[in-house]
Amino acid sequence: MFLGTVVYAVINSVILMLMAIGFNLTFGISGVANFAHGALYILSAYVSWMLLNMLGLPFFISALFSILITTLVGALMYRFVLIRVRGQVLSEVIATFGIGLAILELFRYLGFVGFEYTLPVFIDTSFFVAGVYVDMQRILIVVLGAVLVFGLWLFTHHTSLGLAFRGIAQDERTALTLGIDTDWIATLSVSLGAGLAALAATIIIPLGSISPGEGYDVLIKALAVCIIGGLGSTGGVIVASFIIGFAERFTDSYISSHWTMIVSLAAILIVLTMKPSGLFGKQKELEERI
Amino acid sequence: MLVVKNLMVFFENALALNDFSMEVREGEIVGVIGSNSAGKTTLMNSLSGLIIDMRVKELRKGGERITVYGEILYNGEDIVEVKPSDRVKKGIVLSRERHPVFPESSVLENLKIAGYLKKREEVRGAISSVFELFPALEDLKNRKAGFLSGGEQQMLAIGMALVVGPRLLLLDEPLLGLSPLVQKAVVDAIVRLRDEGSITVVLSEQFARPVLPVIDRGYIIENGMLTLTGSGAELMENPEIKSAYFGV
Repeated sequence: MFLGTVVYAVINSVILMLMAIGFNLTFGISGVANFAHGALYILSAYVSWMLLNMLGLPFFISALFSILITTLVGALMYRFVLIRVRGQVLSEVIATFGIGLAILELFRYLGFVGFEYTLPVFIDTSFFVAGVYVDMQRILIVVLGAVLVFGLWLFTHHTSLGLAFRGIAQDERTALTLGIDTDWIATLSVSLGAGLAALAATIIIPLGSISPGEGYDVLIKALAVCIIGGLGSTGGVIVASFIIGFAERFTDSYISSHWTMIVSLAAILIVLTMKPSGLFGKQKELEERI
Repeated sequence: MLVVKNLMVFFENALALNDFSMEVREGEIVGVIGSNSAGKTTLMNSLSGLIIDMRVKELRKGGERITVYGEILYNGEDIVEVKPSDRVKKGIVLSRERHPVFPESSVLENLKIAGYLKKREEVRGAISSVFELFPALEDLKNRKAGFLSGGEQQMLAIGMALVVGPRLLLLDEPLLGLSPLVQKAVVDAIVRLRDEGSITVVLSEQFARPVLPVIDRGYIIENGMLTLTGSGAELMENPEIKSAYFGV
């Protein structure tokens, strides 16, 4: 039972990491806390579902299109809404949360609720890992998580666009003097965050179903991971996902699933009392970011 | 190369630059000398276009109203409304005051970020010429910029501006907070850049003593207004400058 719990805890941790990494990337680069993150996650899943079931496109094509569309929605959100409230944290939160609410409640209003709303698994098979059955989809999630983290690291350390991301994350005005168009980079950061949410949805949704409520859950999980890890720190996201992921699964197996949520929230409380900026976070002065 | 005509900058109703005019010819080192809050940084921000970006951002969030009047002619073209990233593409590069470096990145990474607009090979070449100019930086290339001393950060900041590839280099208070020895090293490097790299330099300073000997022309600015201009040698002989800046 112990090994099985560990296997599922790892999977759970990677799922949390995938949900949080886009939110964290956007915040780390442009300082925008995108509270529509969960809605974008659900939006991409519904778009994917519609392309698949209404237009009859093959799954991988519809997944690809839904990721592209969500990325575009992220960019438009920045260009038309966020650009005006940039640097005012509360307004950013209210604006993005409002957009998220509108997206999610629209789907609920249109009646997109039920078990038929789900996406197919990529490959339908399962393995015997450390004494427990694990299906292919969960293994793919872990593989994709690892590839994504490595890819993002390569991107931010070895491409000029990625380096520009790191520059504007640290000092926007200095980045401006180096010829980096900060509005453009911030647009890219929000759309890349949206794209990562869509990618996460494409691979995680097949384990469950698509519903508007799931959007709020994803947002809360992403926030929890980022708060524990320290907003804007990729290393923090990875460590925090594993802390919460393991805490949840071990509580499930050894105590009771009623306690899962309480243990995660307690983890947040403990970290925040001991280190208010999160495990790896550095509290940035507000005026430094504007 | 650069002509500033009757530049006026308001922050709300406060006049930061009042009818300021200056000229910079190709291959010169021009100094803008003034005390704190004289308008040096506002001038540098106007020349680099940062003020345009600040104005847009203030306007979007309904903050301070920034108004810019006047002309800035760069090679004959009026650039007063051109945004900063486009001015950088034209070769106008600013190194802001207080050694602006990215503290979380290593020295090498700082220089790479500065190469955003350039091709990979060009960046590599530019970085090695920066290390030639400031050999101290090469030994520190894997250290985080936040852990460098003030002098090292200033060298890195100038190095970053050089990687961008300036034709007109704007240095805002490059000597601020540096020891006299480091000040001399930075001034020597600026002269070398002009002589060997054919880069035109505009620098602003409150310390007149180390820069007056090397500048071709100086503009003394007080309360946003031009009060005196002349060659470096003339300014050094001027009794008012002597009493105000040299204390004799």
